[in-house]
Amino acid sequence: MFPQWFATAQADAWASFQSLPAPRRGDEAWRFSTISALDFSSFTRAEFRGEASEWIARSTGVADAAATLVFVNDTLVHSQSRLPDGVICLPLAEALIQQPDLVQQYFMRHPTTLGSAKFSALHAAHVSNGVFLYVPAGVVVQDPVQIFHWADGDSSTILPHTLLVTGEGASVRVIETFQSTDDRAATLTIAVNDLIAEKNSTLDYVVVQALNQNSKIISINASDVAKAATSTSFLLSTGAAWARSESISRLTGEEARSYMLAVSVPSHDQEYDQRTFQHHISPGAYSDLLYKNSLYDESRTIFSGLIFVDEGAHRTDAYQTCRNLLMSNTCEANSMPGLEINADDVKCSHGSTSAQISDEEIFYLRARGIDSDTARQLIARGFSIEVISRLNHDATEAYVLNFLDQKFATLRMRDVR
Amino acid sequence: MSLDLLPETLDQETAEAVNIDRSIGDFTFPERNKFDAGRGLTEKTVDYICDVKNDPQWVREFRHRALKVFRDKPMPTNWATEDLNNINFDEIRYYLSDGEKPKRSWDDVPADVLETFERLGIPQQERAFLAGVEAQFDSEAAYSNVKEELTKQGVIFVNSTEGLKEHEEIFRPWFGKVIPTGDNKFSALNSAVFSGGSFIYIPKGVKLKQPLQAYFRINSESFGQFERTLIIADEGAEVMYMEGCTAPKFETATLHSAVVELVALKGAKIQYVTVQNWSSNVFNLVTKRGLAMEDAEVRWIDCNIGSRLTMKYPGVVMKGRRARGEVISIALANTGQHQDTGAKMIHAADETTSNVVSKSISVGTGRSTYRGQVHIPKHLKGCKNNTECDALLINAKSRTDTYPAITVKGNQHATQHEASVSQVSQEMLFYMMQRGISEGAAMSLAVNGFINDLVREFPMEYSVELKRLIDLEMEGSVG
Amino acid sequence: MSLLIENLHATLEDGTPILNGVNLEIPAGEVHAIMGPNGSGKSTLSKVISGHESYVVTAGSVTLDGVDLLEMDIDQRSRAGVFLAFQYPAEVPGVSNANFIRAALQARLPKGQDIDAVAYYKNLYSKMDLLEMDRKFTARSVNEGFSGGEKKRNEILQLMMLEPKYSILDETDSGLDIDALKIVAKGVNAMRSPDRGFLLITHYQRLLDYIAPDYVHVMAGGQIVRSGGPELALELEQNGYDFLKELAPA
Repeated sequence: MFPQWFATAQADAWASFQSLPAPRRGDEAWRFSTISALDFSSFTRAEFRGEASEWIARSTGVADAAATLVFVNDTLVHSQSRLPDGVICLPLAEALIQQPDLVQQYFMRHPTTLGSAKFSALHAAHVSNGVFLYVPAGVVVQDPVQIFHWADGDSSTILPHTLLVTGEGASVRVIETFQSTDDRAATLTIAVNDLIAEKNSTLDYVVVQALNQNSKIISINASDVAKAATSTSFLLSTGAAWARSESISRLTGEEARSYMLAVSVPSHDQEYDQRTFQHHISPGAYSDLLYKNSLYDESRTIFSGLIFVDEGAHRTDAYQTCRNLLMSNTCEANSMPGLEINADDVKCSHGSTSAQISDEEIFYLRARGIDSDTARQLIARGFSIEVISRLNHDATEAYVLNFLDQKFATLRMRDVR
Repeated sequence: MSLDLLPETLDQETAEAVNIDRSIGDFTFPERNKFDAGRGLTEKTVDYICDVKNDPQWVREFRHRALKVFRDKPMPTNWATEDLNNINFDEIRYYLSDGEKPKRSWDDVPADVLETFERLGIPQQERAFLAGVEAQFDSEAAYSNVKEELTKQGVIFVNSTEGLKEHEEIFRPWFGKVIPTGDNKFSALNSAVFSGGSFIYIPKGVKLKQPLQAYFRINSESFGQFERTLIIADEGAEVMYMEGCTAPKFETATLHSAVVELVALKGAKIQYVTVQNWSSNVFNLVTKRGLAMEDAEVRWIDCNIGSRLTMKYPGVVMKGRRARGEVISIALANTGQHQDTGAKMIHAADETTSNVVSKSISVGTGRSTYRGQVHIPKHLKGCKNNTECDALLINAKSRTDTYPAITVKGNQHATQHEASVSQVSQEMLFYMMQRGISEGAAMSLAVNGFINDLVREFPMEYSVELKRLIDLEMEGSVG
Repeated sequence: MSLLIENLHATLEDGTPILNGVNLEIPAGEVHAIMGPNGSGKSTLSKVISGHESYVVTAGSVTLDGVDLLEMDIDQRSRAGVFLAFQYPAEVPGVSNANFIRAALQARLPKGQDIDAVAYYKNLYSKMDLLEMDRKFTARSVNEGFSGGEKKRNEILQLMMLEPKYSILDETDSGLDIDALKIVAKGVNAMRSPDRGFLLITHYQRLLDYIAPDYVHVMAGGQIVRSGGPELALELEQNGYDFLKELAPA
């Protein structure tokens, strides 16, 4: 039996979902978005009852993972763990029963403010599974925890929930991967992931979104970073027809550090809609955002980022950079890099560029005997790797790079030139 | 003492002649309006204005359509400040004039109006360095004159009322074309009740060596000024237009909502310079846009120091190949002020380039906002945009925001946007003070240094004045 | 007539002690040098005398020709006659050197009195010539994009223009090649006079080869631990600061 508070929260969320208006044209939070993509009427919840061995077998992540959890349509089909004592790592459905009070303490405690409040309510109303990871104070988990989500069956909806907490001085790295069981079935994913990094802790969260090109995904990510804690949130997007990602960092203590990183390689008519918010609540905190998009074919990206420095959050150090590499003459990049500064003695800057690979760069590589297509791909790959290398963990970088290269392999010779 | 040292080339007299500081503008004369449309805005108000101005039928229809658009459009508070809701459209007086036609000689201008502009230094400036002047007092121009040799070359410089009647064949095809009535709520408002403003036509190949100037003066309380300016530079023509403005500080809020349309035909160049120094209870909601045809250039050189709330995003639509658009913007927001400014760059032809450089200074609890839009659509080649916006915060409660939006389609273009926020560092202040410069003067030096490269873009006569105004604003900002 | 420092104690804002009772008198007409290892408090002394807000004076006094300096603001101290040639001069973007120095001179004039521009430039150019500085320098922003050597030369130019009674040169020799050092020394030596005092803060004897000091002091642990004639500098150059280990206060 799920605890009463959870049942109440779900009922309240359902009421919110019904009362909240759907996003409309003209909403600032959805500026440049394709609103028609938000018609989810054909999607339903679908439990997975089939044979999971293939998906378990294909859920190969990094070697030496500290724990692995595999879900198909939010059903846990496999798990293994060699986590240190005291670490709680449970499917959310179990955590709600075994650790109801602990989960309640952290479960969706902030409203969704970047536009998807309605979908966040839908998630909360129907969420049934996901991962609850709690690393108690002082515990350092050396190897990554990896989570695999497989979306299966046409029109099915999954609502994975990821709740990661590092206690004081603790440390963990989590890699979460979203994939489809086949390359046709159109699925809808509404994922919520909350990262809570308590004092002096380190929390790295790496997401790979490689769903098939008929699927849609909304991911709502938030990090709470306390005094002297460091959180890294990384997202690689190569899949889905339409992907909306909302990412917030709340810096609540001095010397808190938040890194918000993303690499996207959209192609065909994929649309990636990225909204970010760096919220400096405490003075003396640091945040650094770097989003890089390489746009192929008819793809579109929307980047809207805001550095928000609260009154009194002096000595804030905040940076935001979005770079778009335009790889076709039919792609479209929209950038809205914003700042709202209400404090003094801050160092803030943002930059956004959109450009194609320069002829000089191509020429240089061709002069070394590399053909033009290979040269373009090498440069685009290097462009993305600059972000991936910030993960500072070889196995994780290799894992992410593998997905990046799979995407590039499908794009080979596709560049319009 | 102004610490900013005058450039050696400019004599003291000229510097004083361009004196337009706000304290100097803070005076008023008793109203003696022959025509007063009363308070509030209805169809009757619009008809009253049409009747007084003896508008042609097409203008009357244009105004009525605009009124409807104004009513239908919501306040843009979904993205803009809620302070807009403090404008009481029912209390505003939409048309006031003494019924006099604009004079060609200052000698014919009524004594109180003449004294107003004398105190603001306009006739002196005209003698010193201007090719032509239009001076507007509430709803109508009191004085309008252009040097005789320019008239002979075919230059037209009249107020908008005269422009639409006497030069309909040039005026009408472009009027409302760069900025359609429905562009935004305030362009619609202006289209319904516009009065005054300039109509300028520079014939083919004529390059004006001296600037034309317009001066806008609000004299009456609760008044709304809605001037309408249309400048057309024919092929290869060049003109610089400068506008200044003041109002006394009334108890109630005043509204200024202008529409300015520029048309630069093939190879033409228009530079539009504004030093906005409205008193701090004026809502200044202005729509400004230029159209640049092949090889043409439109530059907005904009400085906002006054007003309670300014919302102004000068734009350039680059419609011809190799057209260029530029916005150079300085904003200073002191306590009680919100300077919400920016730029719109719409690329609509190949190889068009645009450049935006914006610097803002927030003092006390002042708030400065930059909003930008850059649009490069599909099927174009070789478009470039560069945007830089830098904000300087002076005090702990000062505020700044930046909201750019950049859309690029296709891979034949390059855009670059950079923004930064900084303070005058303690180390910089210590260094300057160690040389014996007081804290306030050091702050002024640092602020003037911050905008120095942009101030150079203003004509010399304005740049000296600008630095002085900024020194005035910086007084008392420290300590 | 002297710059007199008596029992000066100063801490950082957080209370960390830096100066622990400095006693030093620099009479007009004399050149004093302070040497000492890193962290001995040499640079802090110069900043405390100038009134830098990162330091709190907890005891002692600094007087200039009998006038209390510690009661004054930073700019008042400067106008009273204290000049600090910075080790790391700040950049002031957008403000030209000519305007900056002129503003500093203007600040020394009574209200209503203006600088004679012609005389000012004549004076400026003659000092720049002595320091072998290019004329283009006047239009450049203060210290912005300057090389290390250019910054130090600029400090000496300002010293020569402002003609202070007492000058403190904080590691002016660091980062200078030998030619630049000679030029800087030429500027300082040109300013030496019976009514001006100098305090040179340096790590190395090298500077003292070109600007001969009357007295040399050794600073350690926030105090002057030894004083002597120019020969002390040579001794330090040969033997280093090892002797300090025995001298250092517990």
